[in-house]
Amino acid sequence: MTPEWLSFIVLAVASTATAIGVIAFKNAVHSALSLILTLLFLALFYLQLQAMFIAVVQILIYAGAIMVLFLFVVTMLAPEQDEQEQHDRIAWQKAVGSLLGLVLVGALSYLLFNGASSTNLPKASAAESLSNVVKHQGNVEAFGQALFHGYLFPFEVTSLLIVIAILGALVFGRRA
Amino acid sequence: MASVPLSAYLIMSAILFTIGATGVLIRRNPLIIFMSIELMLNAVNLSFVALSHFLDSADGQMFVFIVLTVAAAEVVVGLALIVSIFRSRRNIDVDEMNILRG
Repeated sequence: MTPEWLSFIVLAVASTATAIGVIAFKNAVHSALSLILTLLFLALFYLQLQAMFIAVVQILIYAGAIMVLFLFVVTMLAPEQDEQEQHDRIAWQKAVGSLLGLVLVGALSYLLFNGASSTNLPKASAAESLSNVVKHQGNVEAFGQALFHGYLFPFEVTSLLIVIAILGALVFGRRA
Repeated sequence: MASVPLSAYLIMSAILFTIGATGVLIRRNPLIIFMSIELMLNAVNLSFVALSHFLDSADGQMFVFIVLTVAAAEVVVGLALIVSIFRSRRNIDVDEMNILRG
């Protein structure tokens, strides 16, 4: 077993376990902490796939900023929430939901296992391939070049989206 | 040396996505439903990064960057909504929210 496989399997088991923790814990704070662990393991996956910038952004933005926001709201609402989940209106909801989940993962895995192999994928031409740019200029430089050459307009539109989100949060927050 | 194939990463992504989807189906707390949605977004991000690596192109990482921004905006507005509902109802069970008037 190569070290690559070993780290993949360790990461796969850890991230699956913590992801199941997100939906299995009764307490919402425990779920949020479990989700933070899942996001950190995903950042390690990104490192393994040589996406350095995405890995760092994942830790800073997701595991840092977004989850802190989540934990704020959870601690604000949590005390009333603990005994809420006892009464389910539809008794068979959990069983059917889990069954549908198993069907989905089975179908997806079957298709991916039979369909996706990296041998017959269309590769980028040698000069502009990611590995070539990374080798000559560096990893984050390759990301920045692709972002500001090919994706400049979507990047600018993103700022508009953030302004709209801030305005939306303000409108909801003011209505006291 | 046998390195990890693309399908291993894609199946990992499928497993995480399914856990998130199941969470949306079986939980009644909107905060945990939100966390499950985040889990699904992250599962898709994993397959984007894996494809970017195996296709040897930076496009997949751009998509992850945009998805990250959209997820942040979605969380801000969604949590503001939940807090606003909690202020007026003192109760955020999704089964209780079945009328359209405030």
